[in-house]
Amino acid sequence: MNRVLRLIGWRLLAGAGVLWGAATLSFLVIQFTPGDPAQAIVGGENAAPTPEVIAQVTREYGLDRPWYEQYLSHLGRVLHGDLGTSYRLHEPVTQAIGEQAGATVELALAAAVVALTLSVAVALATARRRRWVRGAASGAELLVASTPSFWLGILLLTVFSFGLRILPATGSHGFRSLILPAFALALPIAGVLGHVLREALEEVLEEPFIVSARTRGLADLTVRLRHALRHALTPLVTMSGYWVGALLGGAVITETLFTRQGIGRLLISAVDAKDLPVVLGVVLLSAGIYVLVNLVVDLLYLVIDPRLREVPAAAGRVVEGAA
Amino acid sequence: MTRGTPSRPFLLSALLTLSLAASLAACGGAVTGAGAGGGAGDGASGTPRRGGTLVLGENGDEPACLDPHQLSATNTTVVDRPIFDSLLWQDPAGKLHPWLASSWKVSPDGLTYTFELRHGVKFHDGSAWNAEALKANFEHMRDPATKSPLAAAYIAPYKDAEVTGEYTLEVRLATPYSAFLNVLAQSYLGMISAKQIKEAPQTTCEHPIGSGPFVFGKWVKGQNITYRRNPDYTWGPPGAAHTGPAYLDGLEIRFLAEDATRYNALASGEVNVIDNTPPVNVPDVKSDPGLRFASIERPGHPFSIWLNTSRAPFDDVRVRRAITLAVDRRAIVDSVSFGQWKVAGGFVTPSTPDYAGDPEGKISHDEAEANRLLDEAGWKRGPDGIRVKDGRRLTAVALDTGAVPQNTQILVQAQAAAAKAGLQVKIESVTSQVQSDRTASGDFDISVGIWTTNTADVLWIQYSSANITTPDRRGQNTTRLDDPELDRLLDDARKATDEKTRAGLYTRAQARLIDLAPAIPLYNRPSLVSRQSTVQGLGWDNAYGAVNFYDTWLDR
Repeated sequence: MNRVLRLIGWRLLAGAGVLWGAATLSFLVIQFTPGDPAQAIVGGENAAPTPEVIAQVTREYGLDRPWYEQYLSHLGRVLHGDLGTSYRLHEPVTQAIGEQAGATVELALAAAVVALTLSVAVALATARRRRWVRGAASGAELLVASTPSFWLGILLLTVFSFGLRILPATGSHGFRSLILPAFALALPIAGVLGHVLREALEEVLEEPFIVSARTRGLADLTVRLRHALRHALTPLVTMSGYWVGALLGGAVITETLFTRQGIGRLLISAVDAKDLPVVLGVVLLSAGIYVLVNLVVDLLYLVIDPRLREVPAAAGRVVEGAA
Repeated sequence: MTRGTPSRPFLLSALLTLSLAASLAACGGAVTGAGAGGGAGDGASGTPRRGGTLVLGENGDEPACLDPHQLSATNTTVVDRPIFDSLLWQDPAGKLHPWLASSWKVSPDGLTYTFELRHGVKFHDGSAWNAEALKANFEHMRDPATKSPLAAAYIAPYKDAEVTGEYTLEVRLATPYSAFLNVLAQSYLGMISAKQIKEAPQTTCEHPIGSGPFVFGKWVKGQNITYRRNPDYTWGPPGAAHTGPAYLDGLEIRFLAEDATRYNALASGEVNVIDNTPPVNVPDVKSDPGLRFASIERPGHPFSIWLNTSRAPFDDVRVRRAITLAVDRRAIVDSVSFGQWKVAGGFVTPSTPDYAGDPEGKISHDEAEANRLLDEAGWKRGPDGIRVKDGRRLTAVALDTGAVPQNTQILVQAQAAAAKAGLQVKIESVTSQVQSDRTASGDFDISVGIWTTNTADVLWIQYSSANITTPDRRGQNTTRLDDPELDRLLDDARKATDEKTRAGLYTRAQARLIDLAPAIPLYNRPSLVSRQSTVQGLGWDNAYGAVNFYDTWLDR
């Protein structure tokens, strides 16, 4: 258990380092991006701010103070969970993100459930089956994995919203409006995960312990579910960096395409309006999520593979391997 | 400078359009006359019915705030006009009429405006509209704490105001400003509850309170804004088709960023009306028996190619005229808008008050004349076809952000036309921040932009030498034109207290600009609005050229 605590301790320390780096980088980007931030704050299209308005903004946002003072107060604010004030929305970044986070979390979780269910089901059903079955599954996975989620989204919209008219094309209220975006976001990820999972399953299914399980007379499905799956899950966990990234990145496009609320929409409008505090707030949030995911992954290894809890060398390997 | 409305992920839209082309081809049918009537509400049939909620699909340019005084966004009029009334109403001919002001008087020196206000108007919070309320609105626009990007500039000459009666306000200006009444008709200068301004100014963005036909309901950011009917509304604008409360129970504006999603949401009946119809889909709308189409041109300065007149080669008026002649404006505008935008005739659009018809047709396409002018200016063809003078090649740098695909296409086509005349245009891809900085500092030769406002004073905003950016003040004179004669005409027009005099001065200014050629006017930007045939009585806000729902009803 000591080992586990030490692992968590190291991870948190490294995480703090990553966040400090992200906060510093974000400050530098804001500071050294050409152009007057005051113009961005009251700029935008068709704007003609008077000199008095520019002066007010410069004072209010502390843009007239030296850069090191701004850096220290920026770090101090981040430490207190204050990510600054949005140029465009004129409200705290944390509030702007908070308003939108729920919808993105909902979408990402729904998509994760769809992707995991699909990939596990397909892999279980097709691993070490007849050649054409595996070929068909593998082909389908390759196809969806290489299809951009916006294209999939368009297909889904065309068929289910504009063609059959059974699901709404836009909005983020209720379960029905979640179905299409969740599938658009999940399918490419499911394709990749399914592929990896089947290969791992096939490898495991050739292990001696599987053969011994079969000789004990266990049914094929029981063998797959109870014995093989647990071993095959490790690569899925290892790839969590990939699919968490794919979920976050894909959300930007999916939310725009389906006119959903969410951090993706927020990010796009922020980039468009040069709203750097919001952009960097989202960057910081993403960095935080990655740190958290890495920590969870390391802990999951311990759950999935009990050997790691006992063999010191193995535990050490995990720390290095995942760092 | 506006970037315009076209959608961002262009590829995305194009793909979606293609993927749907087949399914939509099936919907084609009889061609119906659309948009033939005076307003958007053509072919209104039957008696208007009360009830129902109308859903409008707007593009993705969702305002960051709903306080009109804090906005400069293009969609301000669409989202704020339901909530906010203005002091004056502009009719389709550009004439101003009483609205929240029942009458007004201008002093002979043009410095004092006395407004008599309408009685019996109430804001949605129950507070009364009176002279104090109007004064509070002027102060709110001007207050630096409001951080107004536009309204403050539009009333810049405002000095102070004195309440001389419950419903009488005397406004004093620091300098004469004949466009004052015009801009007061714009939604950017809509009237907010004075009670809210005084007691809770920090809430005007998120919970706007006006006196309009619709009461703000809820704003789900990134998605939609909902409104409900104001049952007490009896002060509709004078041009409206009815009086009393709006017909619709409610209104929902949905932000559908994808062009193709927006169009298909209309085609599939998910929304009743769409604004910013993708030009490529307009023929589909016109040929669909269940849909109707209407459009209005926005007032102000047409979308144009700015030429930097402060440095070579465009400091020579002959070179500016030559590139104007070399460019085939009709071919460019038709190709980027699929024939849906009208080529600009001059330096203000026809829907602008004091627009002069004379310059129409004076900007022509004549390659021979372009070559002759360049020869005359001393630029001789070099071995590669690009002209040379005193060892210098005839080149110009154009700035492009790539954010609006149509703008890039316009620059590329202009580049090809200029090359034929021996002028090499180099298009530099820059970020919008760099573009805005370099345009402000004059470090460019070619750029593009538009300015929408309901007064010919737009020429003062864009071309007065007082509006050239300096270290102290950022102005909107992108071309850095500095012409004493034009300055005098525009200043005199601002001072004019007589409409005829003002119109005459603006006519001369427009003619002068044809000679000076500081920019190549390209097209008058329209609002392209499509609706289900069951939507009746769509109207326009003429002061901006945007759709208006006060008279609208659903024929179910």
